[in-house]
Amino acid sequence: MAKILLVEDNEMNRDMLSRRLERRGYEVVIAVDGQQGVAMAESESPDLILMDMSLPVIDGWEATRTIKGGMETKQIPVIALTAHAMSTDRDKAIEAGCDDYDTKPIELPRLLEKMEALLSKAS
Amino acid sequence: MIDDLPPEIEKRIQHLLPRDLLHDLRTPLSHILGYSELLLEQMKDAGSEEYVAHLEKIRKAGRELVDMLKDNFKSDT
Repeated sequence: MAKILLVEDNEMNRDMLSRRLERRGYEVVIAVDGQQGVAMAESESPDLILMDMSLPVIDGWEATRTIKGGMETKQIPVIALTAHAMSTDRDKAIEAGCDDYDTKPIELPRLLEKMEALLSKAS
Repeated sequence: MIDDLPPEIEKRIQHLLPRDLLHDLRTPLSHILGYSELLLEQMKDAGSEEYVAHLEKIRKAGRELVDMLKDNFKSDT
């Protein structure tokens, strides 16, 4: 099953989403800020990254730009997750290099659909 | 009239601008919905019909709040 890197600074969101994904058979590895997210994208070689945008150290936009600029990591699909829900936020995430975008509160069936679409495209 | 407001009141009003309010409301709502849906999955697996019914109500109320935010703050989802 696919390995997912979840980059999320909020402890409850991290706990809740990782449990729900693990229940569906995904392997979940966790980073708690943007810098760690970039480092784990390189060290863990995940199949897909779920990236919160409002992160400490470096934010999700910068982390995504770094990941998409790295030779070893640029092919990893990134889905932006944010509690901001305006179309400008989506545009900003896509401009940073995110492959897709979803809003919190997460609707898991909708997120899983987006994840599976990107995972099947990548494989 | 806004010019007459004391700075601390003005600061509080600025803090409650819809965009920030929307973000601030979505975070705890994510927790309520996420954990109620996780519990719902677990209770369904365990066959606990009574808890499933209660949790469905919590989830429904949470989703109604999300819809209210969508309607009142012109968010996309």
